[in-house]
Amino acid sequence: MNKIDAQLKKIKSQNRIGLMTHIVVGYPDLATSKNLLKTMLEVGVDFIELQIPFSDPLADGPTLMVANQLAVQHNTSVRQSMELMAAVSLTTSTPILFMTYFNIVFNYGVARFCQEASQAGCSGLIVPDMPLDEERYEGFIEQAEKFDLYVIRTLAPSSTPKRLRLNAQLAKGFVYFAGRQATTGSQRELDNNLFSNIKKVKQYIDKPVAVGFGISKPEHIYELKNHAEIAVLGSKVVNIYHESASDMAIKNVKIFLQSLVDATH
Amino acid sequence: MVLNFKVGGEGTSFSPHIFNNHMKSIFFKTEYDADNYGHFGTFGGRYVPEMLMPALEELAAVYDAAKQDPDFLQELMDLYKNYDGRPTPLYFAKNLTKQLGGAKIYLKNEGLNHTGAHKINHCLGQALLAKRMGKKRLIAETGAGQHGLATATVAAKFGFACTVYMGAVDYERQRPNVFFMELLGATVVPVEHGTKRLKDAVTAALQDWISNVDDSYYLLGSALGPHPYPSMVRDFQSIIGLEVKEQIMEQEGRLPDYLVACVGGGSNALGLFNAFLENKEVCMIGVEAGGRDITKIGEHAARLQSAGKIGVVEGYKSYFLQNDDGQVQSTHSISAGLDYAGIGPEHALLFEQGRVAYHAVSDAQVIAALQLLAQTEGVIPALESAHAVAYAIKLAPTLDDEKIMVVNVSGRGDKDIFILGDILGDEKWKNYLKKKSQ
Repeated sequence: MNKIDAQLKKIKSQNRIGLMTHIVVGYPDLATSKNLLKTMLEVGVDFIELQIPFSDPLADGPTLMVANQLAVQHNTSVRQSMELMAAVSLTTSTPILFMTYFNIVFNYGVARFCQEASQAGCSGLIVPDMPLDEERYEGFIEQAEKFDLYVIRTLAPSSTPKRLRLNAQLAKGFVYFAGRQATTGSQRELDNNLFSNIKKVKQYIDKPVAVGFGISKPEHIYELKNHAEIAVLGSKVVNIYHESASDMAIKNVKIFLQSLVDATH
Repeated sequence: MVLNFKVGGEGTSFSPHIFNNHMKSIFFKTEYDADNYGHFGTFGGRYVPEMLMPALEELAAVYDAAKQDPDFLQELMDLYKNYDGRPTPLYFAKNLTKQLGGAKIYLKNEGLNHTGAHKINHCLGQALLAKRMGKKRLIAETGAGQHGLATATVAAKFGFACTVYMGAVDYERQRPNVFFMELLGATVVPVEHGTKRLKDAVTAALQDWISNVDDSYYLLGSALGPHPYPSMVRDFQSIIGLEVKEQIMEQEGRLPDYLVACVGGGSNALGLFNAFLENKEVCMIGVEAGGRDITKIGEHAARLQSAGKIGVVEGYKSYFLQNDDGQVQSTHSISAGLDYAGIGPEHALLFEQGRVAYHAVSDAQVIAALQLLAQTEGVIPALESAHAVAYAIKLAPTLDDEKIMVVNVSGRGDKDIFILGDILGDEKWKNYLKKKSQ
């Protein structure tokens, strides 16, 4: 059984919303990203997105763009990302997913990437610039499924019923719905149409829905309960780390993460 | 090739008034065209986040409908003629030809377009599409500023709001175009991310579009990006080659032997080449930016001279300058417009199939070519276009004097006054700048 399914089952049995958090490998440096990852596991988040940095992260807003740029400048490699995954993932039941852009997967070799990610204990892949339309040319989902990796479908407020239906056919585990038509980044308020948009997605897709983009505080998680199955926070953690004094950074992140985990119950 | 374009029309006599009848169409297919999903062989495609997929599907549908609508083509042709100043001349560069002693060199002078470069061709076409789609705002990226300038121009003319993204490096080095874009009412945003060049401006523009997809039209400035942009931009630029075909028949009575154009993303080159792709006797050469040192990553922008490899960036698959992991690398060219790590997907196919040969020239050769063309023919090309001139200067003397070569002068050089003043070390100009800054 894929760890993602087991985790979804556990969350459901506890009658709560799940939490997925995000790390950019190599930001602010490799050792710290490992510490952040361990902190997330200690605090008890439900899913972790491990972003393999890319020079041109199209779907990411300013915070994650800067994090990607710094990680790339530090020569953070795909190899190191695989090693970090293996170092942590093989000893935890928490599903860890790779998030990256398709050029990284493509250059590594789609089959090789999927095989090595799977061997490293990765549970799923989130590759926002690999729409289902290109599957016939790339065989990406095919390779991923061969190695029991779930390719998480990403959806947007602009998704048409036809596209929601097509994505539904391929969805495994859960779907990732971008809560606002924007790039990633924390926002003070949830999007005005968020709940009606989630409802629209659920009309077509019978899978748990993870909601990200603009989620930044425990209150947002409370608000999302009864609407979505997973809340996703990415940029805010990077912001907290970045804005903290260096000796306080991990501690501040931990306190913040704990408040998020508490909010899921 | 389904080409609704007949040299000489009904009879053998030749009509110079090509815009008076609408038998000519820029919309024709070649064997190198993309499939229905926007793939040119293995290149191209539409590798974008879901957020943009519906907008690209809509754009492709609206564009297909526009191509079938004779009124759309007529309106565009009227704009080409009366607003843009087309057809641009095909001019026999007699002095340069004589000096080099070889093939006859013709210049297709796209620098005589309104706004000074070929970019206005696809801006007019796309502005009409944006109007058709009821959009209120145009977004564009720009390198040298010529595409941004042309976008700001059509925005002013058609009443769109306009935001232009420009890498911070380019914002500094192509300042005259920034000034004019702002004068035309556009907001120009310097992009500080990554390499601070054209690539990063494309990403910033795509990101703006993600957030404003309902009311904004992304007016992409080269034959690259996700489908349908590579095909659409090429179509709107195909007028260049169609005119050349007619003009060279009029002046020489036969097709040229060589076509030469510079290639950044590749819009002016495809514009010249497209109408000739199936005339296999016509040799085509795309000229890349060899920069300061073609053997060192970061010192050039030549993607097809061994350093580039296939990747998927900014929504399309093609050759990119990138490291083993796929991180896109920095580039250098004296010309901002060619200073780009990728190349349009149709060029990747034409390269792979050997239909077009791609060569590179150095910054130094470009400066020498610009000076030679200025002094022999009284034509000052843009630094981008001077790459094509530089290669033509190398090639022409090696060819028989019966051979005919057409060089696309994609833009004029006014915008490069500060770069040239610097490089040529013109003391009078420097003193003038000093005086003005006091």
